[in-house]
Parts: sequence; C-alpha cells; structure tokens
Amino acid sequence: MAGTAERPPAPPAVAEEKPFLWVARPLATAAKQFVKSLWRPSTVVYPFERLEDPKFRGQVGVASGKPIGVGEIWDNYRGVHALNINTCISCNLCAFSCPDVCIEMVNVPGGDPRHPKKCPQIDYGKCSFCGFCSDACPEGCLTMTTRYELSVHKREEMVYSPARMFEIFKSKLPMNPIRLERPKNEDQILLDPPICIGCNACARDCPTQCITMLDIPKPTPKPGEKMAKRIWKEPVINDSDCVRCGTCIAVCPKDCLFWGTRQ
Amino acid sequence: MWVNMGPQHPMTHGLWNLRVRIEGEIIKDVEPELGFLHRGIEKISEDRHYNEIITLMDRTCYVAGLAWEHLFILAAEQALHITPPERSEYIRVLASELQRIASHMMWYAAFVQDLGLMSPFLYGMRDRDLVLDLFQSFTGGRLTYEYMRVGGVRNDLPLGFTGQCRRVLDWLIDRFVEYDHLCLASTIFHERCDGLGVLPAPEAVAYGVTGPMLRSAGSHRDLRKDRPYSVYDRLQFDVATATSADVTGRYLVRMEEMRQSVRISRQCLDWLDDHPGPVLAAQLPRWLGAPYAPVGNESYLLKRNYPTGLGFSMIEEPHGEAGAYVVNDGGEHPYRVKFRSPVLINVWAAKRYLPGYRVADIPPIMGSVDVCVGECDR
Repeated sequence: MAGTAERPPAPPAVAEEKPFLWVARPLATAAKQFVKSLWRPSTVVYPFERLEDPKFRGQVGVASGKPIGVGEIWDNYRGVHALNINTCISCNLCAFSCPDVCIEMVNVPGGDPRHPKKCPQIDYGKCSFCGFCSDACPEGCLTMTTRYELSVHKREEMVYSPARMFEIFKSKLPMNPIRLERPKNEDQILLDPPICIGCNACARDCPTQCITMLDIPKPTPKPGEKMAKRIWKEPVINDSDCVRCGTCIAVCPKDCLFWGTRQ
Repeated sequence: MWVNMGPQHPMTHGLWNLRVRIEGEIIKDVEPELGFLHRGIEKISEDRHYNEIITLMDRTCYVAGLAWEHLFILAAEQALHITPPERSEYIRVLASELQRIASHMMWYAAFVQDLGLMSPFLYGMRDRDLVLDLFQSFTGGRLTYEYMRVGGVRNDLPLGFTGQCRRVLDWLIDRFVEYDHLCLASTIFHERCDGLGVLPAPEAVAYGVTGPMLRSAGSHRDLRKDRPYSVYDRLQFDVATATSADVTGRYLVRMEEMRQSVRISRQCLDWLDDHPGPVLAAQLPRWLGAPYAPVGNESYLLKRNYPTGLGFSMIEEPHGEAGAYVVNDGGEHPYRVKFRSPVLINVWAAKRYLPGYRVADIPPIMGSVDVCVGECDR
C-alpha cells in the first residue's frame, strides 16, 4: 500500500500558455475588490460601531457592500433574555423546556408568603441560546433580545437573576418578533374522578388560577358500606386559561390528573 | 521517525493529531489520532426529547449545522411516524443547500490558507457571511440554528426573504468566478495541488470514503440522486464530478457543487413563492409540540400507547454521506441514537492517500479533505 510517488501528468493550467495572465488575472481580481472596499467596506469597526446601530438598518446595509440589509434581519437574533417580572406567572415551563437545565426558578418579591412568586434565573455559563424557553413561555414574558455581549470577570456574574433580566426588559431592546403558535391538537389535563380526594393541591398551586374546586354530591352510603374518606370536591379546569404547564399533575398526591384528549 | 502534527497545529483545523512516519521528506506511514473532541452526543441524546437533540446537532458539525439537523429530523420522523408538510420539506432543502454553500465556502477559506494564500481566505469568509445573514433572518442564529423541528420547521420564512435570498445567490455566482480566477488560473496553485493525495475510486469505495472525495475520482455517487430524500427527486441538478482524484479534483468538485446548490436553491425559492402553507405538522405527540411541558406521571405514556418505530436516514452532507439511526421505544426520549460521520472515514483513509508524498504536501491534502472534527468525534 505504498503511495503513489510518481505523479500523473498535471492537467494544463488555464493560463500556462500565457504566463502574463496567471499573474495578471488574480491581481486584477484583487485590485477590483480592493477599490470596491474603499467606499463599500464589508466589515464593521466593532467596538465603535455595532450592527444594531440605527445607521446599519435598512439601506445602509446594502450600501456597505452587503447585498442584504443587516438591520432588517437582526430582530430575531437569539441573545440575552429579557424577563417581564410583572407578567410572569411562575408556571415553570421555561425551566422544564431547557435542554441544558440552566434555568432555576427563584423567589422574587411580590408573591404571597405561602406561595412565593418564582421567576427564572438563567446561568449563561450553561445556556445554549436555543430559544426553547421563550418558545415555551405562554405569556410572552421571557423573550430573547439582540444583546450579545456577555463577558464577565467572575463566573458568578454569568448567573442572571430575574431582576437583572427585568433591567434588560426595561431597556427596550428589539425582541424576537417571530412567536411560536401553540399546536391545535394540544392535550388537556383530565381527571380520574374515582381516585381524586378533593385535596385542593392543584387549585392552590395553579399559576393561572384556572382550576376551581366544585362541590360534588356526597353519595349516601348503603348500610354496611364504608364511605371513602375524602373532601367532596373535584377540580374543574378552564381549558381556555390553562397554559399546560403540568404543575397540577406534579403536585397531585394521588396521581389522578393526567394528559389526554377529551372525547 | 514519527512526527506529531497536532493536536495544536495549523494544519489540523480542529483538535486532532496526525502522527506521521517520515524518512527524510517522504511520508511512509500515517496514523490519525481522533477523539479529542468527543462529547458523547449519542449518549446524551438518549436523555433528551426529540426536539432537544436538535441543539446537539448544531454542535455536531459546527459548519454544517442545518444539514445535520436535517439528517436527524428525517430519521426521527421515520421513527415517530410523522409526515411533515410539503412546504417545510422545501424549506429544509433550501436550508441544507445554503448550508452546503456556507460549508464549502468555509472549506475554501481554510484550504487556500493552507496553501499560503491570504486574500482568497478573506474572500471566502466575507461571502460566507452573506449566507449566515440569510440564516439569521429565518432561524435567528448564525452558527447554532435550532431551526428544524420534528414535524416541520420552527417558523416560516420571513417576509421578503425569497427576494433577499435571490440577490445573495446572484452575488455569490459572480464570486465563484473570482475564486477560480484567484486559484485555478494560477500556475502556482496547480504546481501545489495537481497530483497530490490521489485516491482512486475503487479504493475510496473500499475505505468507505464518500462525498466530494469520492466524486473527485470520477464516481457519480450522490445520495441526492441515488437515494433521494426529502424533495430532491423533484429538483433538477447535476452531480459534480472530476476525474483526477487529487486535490485539484476536490477543489473542482466543491466549486461545481456550490453552483449546483445555487441552482437547487433557486428552484426551491420559486416553489416556496407559489405555495404558501403550514410549516409544522398539525398532528404531533404532545411532547413534540410547542410547549415542552413535562409529561407528568408515568401513566401518561402508557395511556397514549404511542407506537414504537425505527428510523434510518442518510443524506448527502457537505462532507460526505452522513447517516442517522433512531430507535423509538414509545417514550419521550429515543432509546438509541447512532450517527455515521463521513469525515471520520475520510480522515482514516489518510493511511492510503498520504504515504509517498512529502511533508510539505500534508496541509494541501488534508485541507482538501475538509475535516470537521466536531462531527468526526461527536
């Protein structure tokens, strides 16, 4: 398997017959590009100019040698998150959807003491900027902005608290305009009535308060039959308000709630 | 004498080591050492939802992320028995072909720099940026796209995208001529590249070498023609081939492939203009839909009784033929995922096409292989 030391005859170079051309043609191409670049540079002098500057929006992108506008497409960039704390409902969907498990739900002031309000805290040391969290956010309060500068001095500074992301939200950076629609065949949360004990845990922890506990008639026990020990209430879920976060399923002590399609 | 070229060497383009046994200037034997970038992507995939694996696919090959997304999605859809809408198929093919242009452009920039030419490097990187701008306009990312989903793609193309894309393609077609002026017209390029790294077609097939390396040896093997996936059977294009089986042949094949990619992209754009529609399948299992909520109690999957399945796909990736195998056992995670990397095979065949040449010939030869270590080691 010794290699082929003998070389096959080289194909004739395009300009081998004309030695002048193989010097002149690359030179002419380079010279053309050089002259063009004098008033249409392809680069941005980064720390002094940024792509999100207003002057790079629209027509200036074309004039700078790029055939498409840089600014027009910049808005759906997936950069640092912005969080609107006021509309966050603590549904935990962003943390569930994160493939890198970099989102942690931490307490923020504003909740009542028994059920504290929780908002996402993101560790950018782990984040892969996939955008699944903002896709999953039912309220549109966690979005991704065009901010991309993330260098820090200490590792701890990479962890962005909800308050810090709220600051980014208040700075009104452009945010991703393409929002994902929820699928039409979404499953609903269904109840297995015989197992339910009416404990109110689902209604208590529901982030959208879409579960109400309704009274159900207490059956009259036949003589000799033992009555089930339970509260005679059952959760009723308002599907239009439900964000499908699964919190009720997680807290149900009897596993009587499940995903399914109502027949 | 054994010489290590790598893991940190300008020739390697990534983290791998080429051990070379030399006698004087002549290479007698080589031994590639791989695995420095192993991240266990196949194993991690077993713990992730099908859509979350897409984030790994972008990192598998970091210059051809969309092609690898396409590969995995095809296998996953087969395993999950999902049919994507037609429009999303065209968008995927368009994205894959644009990715092929970007990947070959990156190869061009790196390859000519291995030859010691600085200006073409800058040209290649500059023009690749235009394709990345296009990617950013519809995916939101420049390197890690996370665009394709099981059952379609995340979002439709933005307004005015097809017009912008056509302008970029027109611009790029002119640039390919410039590239040839800079390289192919020059005798210096031919002196450096002709007759180097010859790998004849029968031996390439025996090694399992695919992609531009195989086609440069006169073979017409192209999965887009031979085993059409997605909508490639409805598109007109030619398979780029060369006969010299050397470094120049690979250059010619890749340049022609970029032109053919422009041709395919234009056909896709024409189709997409005329056929609006949904881009995500309407009927998806819940955990593949938009909100990635927890499945909750275990009984959910039992109650749904979702069918199991196997999925296998092969695509013509910019570097060669890539394969994916997905086993769906009815759960929310795949039971097993396996990938076939073209670069791994192409690099291992170095034992055949490197010996006999000189040490100074290694950068052009290995540059023409288009090594992407991320995909090689996974």
